[in-house]
Amino acid sequence: MPTILIVDDEQHIRLLIEQTLEELEDDGVEILTADNGAEALEIIKEARPELVFLDVMMPKMNGFDVCNTVKNDLGMKSIYIILLTAKGQEFDKEKGRECGSDLYITKPFSPKELRNKAKEILGLQ
Amino acid sequence: MALFNLKKLLSRKDTVRLLDELTESLSTNVCIVSASGVVLYGNCNGYPPVLPDHPDHPGLPDFANMAGFPIIADGQAVGWVHGDDRKANAIVSVVNHMVKTEMEKKALATETLDKYNELTMLYDFVEKVNTFNVKEIANFLIKQVLVQIRADNASIMLENETTGLLETIAASGTYFDPMMPLKPGTGIAGSVMLAGKAEIINDCLSDPRYIVGRNKISSLICAPIKAKEKTIGVVNASTIKPNNYTADDLKFFSTLVTQAAFAIDNARLYENLKKAFIKTVNTLAETIEKRDPYTGGHTKRVMNYSVAIAEELGIGDKDRERLELASILHDIGKIGVSDKVLLKTSKLTDEEFDEIKKHPVYGEEILSYIENLDDIIPGIKSHHERFDGKGYPEGLRGDEIDLIARIIAVADSFDAMTSDRPYRKGLSFDVALGELRKCSGTQFDSKVVDAFFEAHKNHKIKLENDKQ
Repeated sequence: MPTILIVDDEQHIRLLIEQTLEELEDDGVEILTADNGAEALEIIKEARPELVFLDVMMPKMNGFDVCNTVKNDLGMKSIYIILLTAKGQEFDKEKGRECGSDLYITKPFSPKELRNKAKEILGLQ
Repeated sequence: MALFNLKKLLSRKDTVRLLDELTESLSTNVCIVSASGVVLYGNCNGYPPVLPDHPDHPGLPDFANMAGFPIIADGQAVGWVHGDDRKANAIVSVVNHMVKTEMEKKALATETLDKYNELTMLYDFVEKVNTFNVKEIANFLIKQVLVQIRADNASIMLENETTGLLETIAASGTYFDPMMPLKPGTGIAGSVMLAGKAEIINDCLSDPRYIVGRNKISSLICAPIKAKEKTIGVVNASTIKPNNYTADDLKFFSTLVTQAAFAIDNARLYENLKKAFIKTVNTLAETIEKRDPYTGGHTKRVMNYSVAIAEELGIGDKDRERLELASILHDIGKIGVSDKVLLKTSKLTDEEFDEIKKHPVYGEEILSYIENLDDIIPGIKSHHERFDGKGYPEGLRGDEIDLIARIIAVADSFDAMTSDRPYRKGLSFDVALGELRKCSGTQFDSKVVDAFFEAHKNHKIKLENDKQ
Protein backbone atom coordinates (compact mmCIF):
# COMPACT_ATOMS: atom_id res chain seq x y z
CA MET A 1 0.00 0.00 0.00
CA PRO A 2 1.56 3.33 -1.03
CA THR A 3 2.16 5.68 1.86
CA ILE A 4 2.41 9.45 2.05
CA LEU A 5 3.87 11.29 5.02
CA ILE A 6 2.99 14.90 5.77
CA VAL A 7 5.40 16.76 8.02
CA ASP A 8 4.56 20.25 9.26
CA ASP A 9 4.64 21.82 12.70
CA GLU A 10 1.47 23.75 11.91
CA GLN A 11 -1.61 21.68 12.49
CA HIS A 12 -3.77 23.49 9.98
CA ILE A 13 -1.31 22.84 7.19
CA ARG A 14 -1.19 19.13 8.05
CA LEU A 15 -4.96 19.03 8.10
CA LEU A 16 -5.16 20.93 4.85
CA ILE A 17 -2.80 18.63 2.98
CA GLU A 18 -4.46 15.58 4.48
CA GLN A 19 -7.84 16.85 3.31
CA THR A 20 -6.42 17.71 -0.10
CA LEU A 21 -5.12 14.17 -0.52
CA GLU A 22 -8.18 12.49 0.97
CA GLU A 23 -9.47 11.11 -2.31
CA LEU A 24 -6.22 9.19 -2.77
CA GLU A 25 -7.28 7.02 0.15
CA ASP A 26 -9.91 5.55 -2.12
CA ASP A 27 -7.03 4.23 -4.20
CA GLY A 28 -5.60 2.57 -1.12
CA VAL A 29 -3.06 5.23 -0.24
CA GLU A 30 -2.24 5.54 3.45
CA ILE A 31 -1.65 9.04 4.80
CA LEU A 32 0.51 9.57 7.87
CA THR A 33 1.38 12.81 9.61
CA ALA A 34 4.14 14.09 11.86
CA ASP A 35 4.50 17.45 13.55
CA ASN A 36 8.27 17.54 13.94
CA GLY A 37 11.44 16.35 12.28
CA ALA A 38 12.36 13.66 14.81
CA GLU A 39 8.94 12.04 14.63
CA ALA A 40 9.10 12.26 10.84
CA LEU A 41 12.37 10.31 10.82
CA GLU A 42 10.90 7.61 13.07
CA ILE A 43 7.94 7.18 10.76
CA ILE A 44 10.08 7.23 7.63
CA LYS A 45 12.32 4.49 8.97
CA GLU A 46 9.39 2.35 10.00
CA ALA A 47 6.79 2.96 7.31
CA ARG A 48 9.06 3.79 4.37
CA PRO A 49 6.64 6.15 2.63
CA GLU A 50 6.87 6.67 -1.13
CA LEU A 51 6.30 10.40 -0.81
CA VAL A 52 7.02 12.96 1.91
CA PHE A 53 5.70 16.50 2.09
CA LEU A 54 8.25 18.20 4.28
CA ASP A 55 7.99 21.67 5.74
CA VAL A 56 11.30 23.51 5.73
CA MET A 57 10.75 25.91 8.60
CA MET A 58 10.32 23.78 11.69
CA PRO A 59 11.78 24.30 15.17
CA LYS A 60 14.68 22.08 16.27
CA MET A 61 15.14 19.83 13.25
CA ASN A 62 14.26 21.66 10.07
CA GLY A 63 13.21 20.21 6.73
CA PHE A 64 16.69 20.39 5.20
CA ASP A 65 18.10 18.32 8.08
CA VAL A 66 15.37 15.71 7.83
CA CYS A 67 15.82 15.52 4.07
CA ASN A 68 19.58 15.23 4.41
CA THR A 69 19.31 12.42 6.95
CA VAL A 70 16.84 10.47 4.83
CA LYS A 71 18.53 10.88 1.48
CA ASN A 72 22.20 10.93 2.45
CA ASP A 73 22.68 9.34 5.89
CA LEU A 74 20.03 6.66 5.58
CA GLY A 75 20.51 6.36 1.82
CA MET A 76 16.76 6.18 1.21
CA LYS A 77 17.06 7.91 -2.11
CA SER A 78 13.93 6.44 -3.65
CA ILE A 79 11.69 8.34 -1.23
CA TYR A 80 10.32 11.34 -3.12
CA ILE A 81 10.71 14.41 -0.95
CA ILE A 82 8.78 17.61 -1.64
CA LEU A 83 9.91 20.56 0.46
CA LEU A 84 7.26 23.07 1.48
CA THR A 85 8.41 26.64 1.75
CA ALA A 86 6.55 29.80 2.58
CA LYS A 87 6.11 32.31 -0.18
CA GLY A 88 8.00 35.52 0.39
CA GLN A 89 10.70 33.74 2.31
CA GLU A 90 13.83 33.33 0.30
CA PHE A 91 14.13 29.64 -0.47
CA ASP A 92 17.69 28.42 -0.42
CA LYS A 93 17.72 26.41 -3.63
CA GLU A 94 21.33 25.43 -3.02
CA LYS A 95 20.43 23.80 0.29
CA GLY A 96 17.43 22.16 -1.32
CA ARG A 97 19.68 20.61 -3.93
CA GLU A 98 22.39 19.61 -1.44
CA CYS A 99 20.00 17.72 0.80
CA GLY A 100 18.77 15.80 -2.23
CA SER A 101 15.14 16.92 -2.26
CA ASP A 102 13.19 16.21 -5.42
CA LEU A 103 10.94 19.25 -5.61
CA TYR A 104 9.85 22.27 -3.66
CA ILE A 105 6.42 23.84 -3.47
CA THR A 106 5.65 27.27 -2.09
CA LYS A 107 2.82 27.92 0.35
CA PRO A 108 0.12 28.91 -0.29
CA PHE A 109 0.04 25.99 -2.68
CA SER A 110 -2.73 25.15 -5.08
CA PRO A 111 -4.52 22.11 -3.59
CA LYS A 112 -5.36 20.83 -7.04
CA GLU A 113 -1.75 20.96 -8.21
CA LEU A 114 -0.56 19.32 -5.04
CA ARG A 115 -3.02 16.47 -5.46
CA ASN A 116 -2.11 15.98 -9.11
CA LYS A 117 1.58 15.97 -8.25
CA ALA A 118 1.03 13.32 -5.57
CA LYS A 119 -0.98 11.18 -7.98
CA GLU A 120 1.69 11.52 -10.61
CA ILE A 121 4.47 10.51 -8.23
CA LEU A 122 2.54 7.50 -6.95
CA GLY A 123 1.55 6.55 -10.48
CA LEU A 124 -2.18 6.89 -9.84
CA GLN A 125 -3.07 8.96 -12.89
CA MET B 1 -20.30 14.05 2.10
CA ALA B 2 -18.72 10.65 1.73
CA LEU B 3 -19.60 7.97 4.21
CA PHE B 4 -17.56 8.15 7.37
CA ASN B 5 -14.35 6.16 7.08
CA LEU B 6 -14.61 3.93 10.13
CA LYS B 7 -11.84 1.72 8.87
CA LYS B 8 -9.39 4.59 8.93
CA LEU B 9 -10.31 5.57 12.45
CA LEU B 10 -10.00 2.00 13.71
CA SER B 11 -6.69 1.39 12.00
CA ARG B 12 -5.05 4.31 13.75
CA LYS B 13 -2.55 3.25 16.36
CA ASP B 14 -3.89 5.51 19.10
CA THR B 15 -7.44 4.25 18.54
CA VAL B 16 -6.33 0.62 18.68
CA ARG B 17 -4.33 1.28 21.84
CA LEU B 18 -7.32 2.97 23.48
CA LEU B 19 -9.66 0.11 22.59
CA ASP B 20 -7.13 -2.48 23.77
CA GLU B 21 -6.79 -0.73 27.13
CA LEU B 22 -10.53 -0.30 27.48
CA THR B 23 -11.35 -3.93 26.78
CA GLU B 24 -8.55 -5.08 29.04
CA SER B 25 -9.62 -2.95 31.97
CA LEU B 26 -13.23 -4.03 31.48
CA SER B 27 -12.00 -7.63 31.14
CA THR B 28 -14.09 -8.19 28.07
CA ASN B 29 -13.80 -8.88 24.37
CA VAL B 30 -15.55 -6.88 21.74
CA CYS B 31 -15.51 -7.03 18.00
CA ILE B 32 -16.29 -4.18 15.67
CA VAL B 33 -17.60 -4.72 12.15
CA SER B 34 -18.28 -2.22 9.40
CA ALA B 35 -21.78 -1.71 8.03
CA SER B 36 -20.88 -4.04 5.18
CA GLY B 37 -19.77 -6.73 7.60
CA VAL B 38 -15.98 -6.43 7.45
CA VAL B 39 -14.27 -7.06 10.79
CA LEU B 40 -12.34 -3.93 11.74
CA TYR B 41 -11.35 -4.68 15.31
CA GLY B 42 -11.22 -7.71 17.59
CA ASN B 43 -12.26 -11.24 17.02
CA CYS B 44 -15.79 -11.73 15.78
CA ASN B 45 -16.07 -15.48 16.14
CA GLY B 46 -19.54 -16.25 17.39
CA TYR B 47 -21.05 -12.89 16.45
CA PRO B 48 -23.15 -12.31 13.42
CA PRO B 49 -21.12 -9.90 11.26
CA VAL B 50 -24.34 -8.26 10.10
CA LEU B 51 -27.90 -8.56 11.25
CA PRO B 52 -30.00 -11.14 9.49
CA ASP B 53 -32.89 -9.86 7.39
CA HIS B 54 -36.21 -9.22 9.05
CA PRO B 55 -38.41 -12.29 8.39
CA ASP B 56 -41.31 -10.15 7.12
CA HIS B 57 -39.28 -7.44 5.39
CA PRO B 58 -36.44 -8.88 3.34
CA GLY B 59 -33.66 -6.31 2.86
CA LEU B 60 -34.27 -4.65 6.22
CA PRO B 61 -32.24 -5.67 9.26
CA ASP B 62 -34.04 -7.56 11.97
CA PHE B 63 -33.45 -5.29 14.94
CA ALA B 64 -35.17 -7.71 17.27
CA ASN B 65 -32.28 -9.98 16.54
CA MET B 66 -29.71 -7.30 17.11
CA ALA B 67 -26.73 -8.54 18.91
CA GLY B 68 -24.60 -5.44 18.57
CA PHE B 69 -24.63 -1.72 19.18
CA PRO B 70 -24.64 0.69 16.27
CA ILE B 71 -21.84 3.15 15.57
CA ILE B 72 -23.61 6.20 14.21
CA ALA B 73 -22.23 8.82 11.84
CA ASP B 74 -24.54 11.42 10.38
CA GLY B 75 -27.61 9.48 11.50
CA GLN B 76 -26.47 6.33 9.74
CA ALA B 77 -25.07 3.13 11.19
CA VAL B 78 -21.55 2.81 9.82
CA GLY B 79 -20.66 -0.22 11.94
CA TRP B 80 -21.52 -2.40 14.90
CA VAL B 81 -19.93 -3.27 18.20
CA HIS B 82 -20.59 -6.82 19.33
CA GLY B 83 -19.89 -8.17 22.76
CA ASP B 84 -21.14 -8.48 26.29
CA ASP B 85 -24.13 -6.15 26.43
CA ARG B 86 -23.24 -3.73 29.18
CA LYS B 87 -19.57 -3.49 28.43
CA ALA B 88 -20.05 -3.30 24.67
CA ASN B 89 -22.50 -0.48 25.30
CA ALA B 90 -19.82 1.48 27.14
CA ILE B 91 -17.34 0.87 24.36
CA VAL B 92 -19.73 1.95 21.63
CA SER B 93 -20.24 5.21 23.51
CA VAL B 94 -16.51 5.84 23.38
CA VAL B 95 -16.33 4.92 19.71
CA ASN B 96 -19.29 7.14 18.90
CA HIS B 97 -17.65 9.99 20.69
CA MET B 98 -14.49 9.51 18.65
CA VAL B 99 -16.53 9.35 15.45
CA LYS B 100 -18.25 12.60 16.34
CA THR B 101 -14.97 14.38 17.07
CA GLU B 102 -13.48 12.98 13.90
CA MET B 103 -16.41 14.22 11.85
CA GLU B 104 -16.21 17.68 13.32
CA LYS B 105 -12.54 17.77 12.50
CA LYS B 106 -13.32 16.65 8.99
CA ALA B 107 -15.96 19.35 8.51
CA LEU B 108 -13.52 21.93 9.74
CA ALA B 109 -10.83 20.63 7.42
CA THR B 110 -13.20 20.74 4.45
CA GLU B 111 -14.11 24.31 5.24
CA THR B 112 -10.47 25.27 5.71
CA LEU B 113 -9.62 23.71 2.38
CA ASP B 114 -12.39 25.69 0.69
CA LYS B 115 -11.04 28.89 2.16
CA TYR B 116 -7.55 27.91 1.21
CA ASN B 117 -8.66 27.35 -2.35
CA GLU B 118 -10.05 30.87 -2.41
CA LEU B 119 -6.86 32.22 -0.97
CA THR B 120 -4.62 30.55 -3.54
CA MET B 121 -7.01 31.69 -6.25
CA LEU B 122 -6.64 35.28 -5.07
CA TYR B 123 -2.88 34.97 -4.91
CA ASP B 124 -2.90 33.65 -8.42
CA PHE B 125 -5.25 36.38 -9.56
CA VAL B 126 -3.16 39.20 -8.16
CA GLU B 127 -0.06 37.71 -9.69
CA LYS B 128 -1.52 37.29 -13.15
CA VAL B 129 -3.45 40.49 -13.39
CA ASN B 130 -0.31 42.56 -13.85
CA THR B 131 -1.31 43.88 -17.23
CA PHE B 132 -2.27 47.39 -18.23
CA ASN B 133 -4.91 46.27 -20.65
CA VAL B 134 -8.48 46.69 -19.36
CA LYS B 135 -9.89 44.09 -21.77
CA GLU B 136 -7.35 41.49 -20.70
CA ILE B 137 -8.09 42.10 -17.04
CA ALA B 138 -11.81 41.90 -17.69
CA ASN B 139 -11.50 38.63 -19.59
CA PHE B 140 -9.31 37.15 -16.90
CA LEU B 141 -11.80 38.17 -14.22
CA ILE B 142 -14.64 36.56 -16.14
CA LYS B 143 -12.72 33.34 -16.52
CA GLN B 144 -12.10 33.26 -12.78
CA VAL B 145 -15.70 34.08 -11.91
CA LEU B 146 -16.97 31.22 -14.07
CA VAL B 147 -14.51 28.80 -12.48
CA GLN B 148 -14.98 29.88 -8.89
CA ILE B 149 -18.66 30.75 -8.63
CA ARG B 150 -21.57 28.68 -9.83
CA ALA B 151 -22.55 30.75 -12.86
CA ASP B 152 -23.55 30.25 -16.46
CA ASN B 153 -22.94 33.83 -17.47
CA ALA B 154 -20.62 36.56 -16.35
CA SER B 155 -20.19 40.08 -17.61
CA ILE B 156 -18.31 43.22 -16.77
CA MET B 157 -19.82 46.63 -17.33
CA LEU B 158 -17.87 49.86 -17.09
CA GLU B 159 -19.11 53.39 -17.08
CA ASN B 160 -18.22 55.13 -20.31
CA GLU B 161 -16.38 58.23 -19.16
CA THR B 162 -17.85 60.34 -21.94
CA THR B 163 -21.48 59.20 -22.14
CA GLY B 164 -21.92 58.12 -18.52
CA LEU B 165 -23.62 54.92 -19.68
CA LEU B 166 -22.79 51.46 -18.40
CA GLU B 167 -21.29 49.44 -21.23
CA THR B 168 -20.52 45.75 -21.32
CA ILE B 169 -16.83 45.44 -22.07
CA ALA B 170 -16.44 41.71 -21.61
CA ALA B 171 -18.84 38.85 -21.19
CA SER B 172 -19.05 35.14 -21.41
CA GLY B 173 -21.68 32.49 -21.13
CA THR B 174 -23.81 30.14 -23.14
CA TYR B 175 -26.69 32.50 -23.57
CA PHE B 176 -24.84 35.74 -23.58
CA ASP B 177 -26.13 38.33 -25.94
CA PRO B 178 -24.42 41.74 -25.86
CA MET B 179 -26.41 44.10 -23.74
CA MET B 180 -27.43 47.61 -24.60
CA PRO B 181 -25.66 50.33 -22.65
CA LEU B 182 -27.52 50.97 -19.40
CA LYS B 183 -28.22 54.25 -17.69
CA PRO B 184 -27.02 54.17 -14.08
CA GLY B 185 -30.16 53.54 -12.06
CA THR B 186 -31.91 51.33 -14.60
CA GLY B 187 -31.97 47.58 -14.30
CA ILE B 188 -30.38 45.65 -11.48
CA ALA B 189 -26.85 46.40 -12.68
CA GLY B 190 -27.65 50.09 -12.96
CA SER B 191 -29.10 50.13 -9.48
CA VAL B 192 -26.07 48.37 -7.98
CA MET B 193 -23.92 50.88 -9.83
CA LEU B 194 -25.73 53.79 -8.19
CA ALA B 195 -25.92 52.26 -4.72
CA GLY B 196 -22.34 50.99 -4.85
CA LYS B 197 -23.34 47.93 -2.88
CA ALA B 198 -23.13 44.29 -3.96
CA GLU B 199 -26.37 42.30 -4.13
CA ILE B 200 -27.67 38.77 -4.49
CA ILE B 201 -30.93 38.37 -6.36
CA ASN B 202 -31.86 34.71 -6.34
CA ASP B 203 -35.19 35.29 -8.00
CA CYS B 204 -34.71 37.92 -10.70
CA LEU B 205 -38.18 37.51 -12.20
CA SER B 206 -39.82 38.81 -9.07
CA ASP B 207 -37.46 41.81 -8.82
CA PRO B 208 -39.15 44.91 -10.27
CA ARG B 209 -35.79 46.28 -11.42
CA TYR B 210 -35.09 43.27 -13.60
CA ILE B 211 -35.28 44.14 -17.28
CA VAL B 212 -36.43 41.04 -19.13
CA GLY B 213 -34.23 40.69 -22.14
CA ARG B 214 -33.41 37.92 -24.51
CA ASN B 215 -31.11 36.39 -21.91
CA LYS B 216 -33.28 34.61 -19.46
CA ILE B 217 -31.59 34.47 -16.11
CA SER B 218 -32.95 33.30 -12.80
CA SER B 219 -30.36 34.14 -10.18
CA LEU B 220 -27.86 36.93 -10.17
CA ILE B 221 -24.98 38.15 -8.11
CA CYS B 222 -23.83 41.67 -8.88
CA ALA B 223 -20.99 43.67 -7.33
CA PRO B 224 -19.75 47.20 -7.94
CA ILE B 225 -16.26 47.90 -9.24
CA LYS B 226 -14.94 50.59 -6.97
CA ALA B 227 -11.88 52.66 -7.59
CA LYS B 228 -10.93 55.20 -4.99
CA GLU B 229 -14.42 55.34 -3.46
CA LYS B 230 -15.99 55.90 -6.84
CA THR B 231 -18.03 53.18 -8.53
CA ILE B 232 -16.79 52.78 -12.09
CA GLY B 233 -18.78 49.73 -13.10
CA VAL B 234 -20.28 46.39 -12.06
CA VAL B 235 -19.59 42.70 -12.45
CA ASN B 236 -22.48 40.26 -12.95
CA ALA B 237 -22.60 36.51 -12.53
CA SER B 238 -25.82 34.70 -13.19
CA THR B 239 -27.41 31.31 -13.65
CA ILE B 240 -30.08 30.29 -16.14
CA LYS B 241 -31.79 27.95 -13.71
CA PRO B 242 -32.69 29.19 -10.21
CA ASN B 243 -29.72 29.06 -7.90
CA ASN B 244 -29.24 29.85 -4.28
CA TYR B 245 -26.33 32.24 -4.01
CA THR B 246 -25.15 32.56 -0.44
CA ALA B 247 -23.55 35.33 1.59
CA ASP B 248 -20.30 33.36 1.27
CA ASP B 249 -20.52 33.50 -2.52
CA LEU B 250 -21.11 37.23 -2.35
CA LYS B 251 -18.18 37.80 -0.07
CA PHE B 252 -15.82 35.83 -2.24
CA PHE B 253 -17.17 37.39 -5.42
CA SER B 254 -16.70 40.87 -3.97
CA THR B 255 -13.13 40.12 -2.95
CA LEU B 256 -12.37 39.02 -6.47
CA VAL B 257 -13.99 42.12 -7.92
CA THR B 258 -12.07 44.39 -5.53
CA GLN B 259 -8.80 42.91 -6.72
CA ALA B 260 -9.82 43.40 -10.32
CA ALA B 261 -10.99 46.95 -9.59
CA PHE B 262 -7.49 48.04 -8.60
CA ALA B 263 -6.09 46.54 -11.76
CA ILE B 264 -8.78 48.06 -13.97
CA ASP B 265 -8.32 51.49 -12.42
CA ASN B 266 -4.58 51.35 -12.94
CA ALA B 267 -5.00 50.18 -16.49
CA ARG B 268 -7.41 53.00 -17.23
CA LEU B 269 -5.00 55.56 -15.85
CA TYR B 270 -2.24 54.04 -17.89
CA GLU B 271 -4.33 54.05 -21.05
CA ASN B 272 -5.30 57.69 -20.54
CA LEU B 273 -1.68 58.56 -19.98
CA LYS B 274 -0.72 56.74 -23.13
CA LYS B 275 -3.40 58.52 -25.13
CA ALA B 276 -2.17 61.87 -23.84
CA PHE B 277 1.37 60.88 -24.72
CA ILE B 278 0.48 59.88 -28.27
CA LYS B 279 -1.42 63.12 -28.66
CA THR B 280 1.63 65.06 -27.53
CA VAL B 281 3.86 63.17 -29.89
CA ASN B 282 1.43 63.78 -32.73
CA THR B 283 1.38 67.49 -31.99
CA LEU B 284 5.14 67.53 -31.99
CA ALA B 285 5.25 65.79 -35.36
CA GLU B 286 2.67 68.13 -36.82
CA THR B 287 4.58 71.17 -35.63
CA ILE B 288 7.61 69.98 -37.51
CA GLU B 289 5.55 69.25 -40.57
CA LYS B 290 4.20 72.78 -40.61
CA ARG B 291 7.65 74.00 -41.59
CA ASP B 292 7.28 72.28 -44.90
CA PRO B 293 3.80 72.97 -46.26
CA TYR B 294 4.31 70.65 -49.20
CA THR B 295 4.56 67.57 -47.04
CA GLY B 296 1.33 68.25 -45.16
CA GLY B 297 -0.24 65.07 -43.81
CA HIS B 298 2.85 63.01 -44.66
CA THR B 299 3.34 61.76 -41.09
CA LYS B 300 -0.21 60.59 -40.75
CA ARG B 301 -0.17 58.77 -44.04
CA VAL B 302 3.13 57.07 -43.29
CA MET B 303 1.68 55.90 -40.01
CA ASN B 304 -1.45 54.57 -41.69
CA TYR B 305 0.54 52.70 -44.35
CA SER B 306 2.93 51.36 -41.72
CA VAL B 307 0.14 50.06 -39.54
CA ALA B 308 -1.55 48.46 -42.55
CA ILE B 309 1.69 46.67 -43.43
CA ALA B 310 2.18 45.60 -39.82
CA GLU B 311 -1.30 44.09 -39.72
CA GLU B 312 -0.47 41.92 -42.72
CA LEU B 313 2.83 40.90 -41.18
CA GLY B 314 1.04 40.05 -37.94
CA ILE B 315 3.55 41.69 -35.62
CA GLY B 316 2.97 41.66 -31.85
CA ASP B 317 1.31 44.37 -29.77
CA LYS B 318 4.59 45.64 -28.40
CA ASP B 319 6.14 46.04 -31.86
CA ARG B 320 2.96 47.61 -33.11
CA GLU B 321 3.14 50.26 -30.43
CA ARG B 322 6.77 50.86 -31.31
CA LEU B 323 5.87 51.15 -34.97
CA GLU B 324 3.08 53.65 -34.34
CA LEU B 325 5.33 55.99 -32.40
CA ALA B 326 8.32 55.58 -34.69
CA SER B 327 6.26 56.23 -37.81
CA ILE B 328 4.84 59.40 -36.28
CA LEU B 329 8.28 60.58 -35.26
CA HIS B 330 10.36 59.24 -38.15
CA ASP B 331 11.17 62.68 -39.54
CA ILE B 332 11.57 64.49 -36.22
CA GLY B 333 15.27 64.96 -36.97
CA LYS B 334 14.33 67.35 -39.78
CA ILE B 335 14.02 69.97 -37.09
CA GLY B 336 17.81 70.08 -37.21
CA VAL B 337 17.95 70.70 -40.95
CA SER B 338 18.07 74.36 -41.96
CA ASP B 339 15.08 75.94 -43.74
CA LYS B 340 17.33 76.87 -46.63
CA VAL B 341 17.91 73.22 -47.41
CA LEU B 342 14.67 71.75 -46.22
CA LEU B 343 12.44 74.16 -48.13
CA LYS B 344 14.55 74.44 -51.24
CA THR B 345 12.45 73.78 -54.32
CA SER B 346 15.23 73.41 -56.87
CA LYS B 347 17.72 70.57 -57.13
CA LEU B 348 19.88 70.04 -54.05
CA THR B 349 23.65 70.17 -54.21
CA ASP B 350 25.64 67.23 -52.87
CA GLU B 351 26.42 69.17 -49.71
CA GLU B 352 22.79 70.09 -49.19
CA PHE B 353 21.78 66.52 -49.73
CA ASP B 354 24.36 65.45 -47.15
CA GLU B 355 22.71 67.78 -44.68
CA ILE B 356 19.29 66.29 -45.36
CA LYS B 357 20.78 62.85 -44.88
CA LYS B 358 21.63 63.75 -41.31
CA HIS B 359 18.02 63.86 -40.17
CA PRO B 360 17.81 60.21 -39.04
CA VAL B 361 20.82 60.75 -36.77
CA TYR B 362 19.39 64.05 -35.49
CA GLY B 363 16.21 62.12 -34.72
CA GLU B 364 18.18 59.60 -32.72
CA GLU B 365 19.85 62.39 -30.76
CA ILE B 366 16.62 64.15 -29.93
CA LEU B 367 14.87 60.98 -28.78
CA SER B 368 17.79 59.81 -26.73
CA TYR B 369 16.86 62.54 -24.25
CA ILE B 370 13.41 61.08 -23.71
CA GLU B 371 13.18 58.24 -21.29
CA ASN B 372 11.33 55.10 -22.37
CA LEU B 373 11.62 55.92 -26.04
CA ASP B 374 14.92 54.10 -26.60
CA ASP B 375 13.15 51.21 -28.24
CA ILE B 376 11.77 53.30 -31.06
CA ILE B 377 15.14 54.85 -31.94
CA PRO B 378 16.21 52.09 -34.37
CA GLY B 379 12.96 52.61 -36.29
CA ILE B 380 13.78 56.28 -36.73
CA LYS B 381 17.51 56.11 -37.20
CA SER B 382 17.34 53.40 -39.84
CA HIS B 383 14.33 54.37 -41.92
CA HIS B 384 16.59 55.42 -44.80
CA GLU B 385 18.68 52.27 -44.73
CA ARG B 386 18.31 50.04 -47.78
CA PHE B 387 17.86 46.29 -47.67
CA ASP B 388 20.92 45.87 -49.94
CA GLY B 389 23.12 47.93 -47.63
CA LYS B 390 23.33 51.03 -49.84
CA GLY B 391 21.30 53.30 -47.60
CA TYR B 392 22.24 55.75 -44.85
CA PRO B 393 23.34 56.63 -42.18
CA GLU B 394 25.09 53.36 -41.32
CA GLY B 395 24.78 51.24 -44.45
CA LEU B 396 23.09 48.42 -42.54
CA ARG B 397 21.72 45.55 -44.60
CA GLY B 398 18.98 42.92 -44.41
CA ASP B 399 17.98 41.85 -40.93
CA GLU B 400 20.50 44.24 -39.39
CA ILE B 401 17.89 46.91 -40.05
CA ASP B 402 15.16 46.98 -37.43
CA LEU B 403 11.89 45.60 -38.85
CA ILE B 404 10.12 48.78 -37.80
CA ALA B 405 12.53 50.80 -39.94
CA ARG B 406 12.10 48.44 -42.91
CA ILE B 407 8.34 48.97 -42.69
CA ILE B 408 8.61 52.75 -42.39
CA ALA B 409 11.01 52.80 -45.36
CA VAL B 410 8.36 51.32 -47.65
CA ALA B 411 5.54 53.49 -46.26
CA ASP B 412 7.69 56.64 -46.41
CA SER B 413 8.88 56.04 -49.98
CA PHE B 414 5.41 55.22 -51.20
CA ASP B 415 4.03 58.45 -49.80
CA ALA B 416 6.96 60.47 -51.14
CA MET B 417 6.40 59.03 -54.60
CA THR B 418 2.67 59.70 -54.66
CA SER B 419 2.82 63.21 -53.16
CA ASP B 420 3.07 66.34 -55.24
CA ARG B 421 6.18 68.45 -54.77
CA PRO B 422 6.74 72.02 -55.95
CA TYR B 423 9.17 70.78 -58.56
CA ARG B 424 7.25 67.69 -59.68
CA LYS B 425 3.87 66.09 -59.67
CA GLY B 426 3.35 62.92 -57.65
CA LEU B 427 3.32 59.54 -59.37
CA SER B 428 0.07 57.75 -59.92
CA PHE B 429 -0.86 54.98 -57.55
CA ASP B 430 -0.15 52.17 -60.00
CA VAL B 431 3.17 53.59 -61.11
CA ALA B 432 4.23 53.94 -57.48
CA LEU B 433 3.19 50.36 -56.81
CA GLY B 434 5.30 49.29 -59.77
CA GLU B 435 8.28 51.17 -58.35
CA LEU B 436 7.91 49.38 -55.02
CA ARG B 437 7.82 46.04 -56.78
CA LYS B 438 10.86 46.97 -58.85
CA CYS B 439 12.88 47.86 -55.77
CA SER B 440 11.70 44.90 -53.74
CA GLY B 441 14.68 42.91 -52.53
CA THR B 442 17.16 45.69 -53.30
CA GLN B 443 16.02 48.91 -51.67
CA PHE B 444 13.19 47.28 -49.72
CA ASP B 445 12.67 44.09 -47.79
CA SER B 446 10.56 41.98 -50.18
CA LYS B 447 8.61 40.57 -47.22
CA VAL B 448 7.50 44.10 -46.34
CA VAL B 449 6.68 44.98 -49.94
CA ASP B 450 4.59 41.81 -50.22
CA ALA B 451 2.73 42.84 -47.07
CA PHE B 452 2.10 46.28 -48.58
CA PHE B 453 0.58 44.69 -51.69
CA GLU B 454 -1.45 42.37 -49.51
CA ALA B 455 -2.72 45.36 -47.52
CA HIS B 456 -3.57 47.10 -50.80
CA LYS B 457 -5.50 44.02 -51.93
CA ASN B 458 -7.41 44.17 -48.65
CA HIS B 459 -8.28 47.84 -49.25
CA LYS B 460 -6.20 49.08 -46.37
CA ILE B 461 -4.05 51.40 -48.50
CA LYS B 462 -5.90 54.45 -49.70
CA LEU B 463 -4.73 57.68 -51.23
CA GLU B 464 -6.40 60.85 -50.04
CA ASN B 465 -6.62 62.47 -53.44
CA ASP B 466 -7.95 61.00 -56.65
CA LYS B 467 -4.74 59.46 -57.90
CA GLN B 468 -6.20 56.01 -57.46
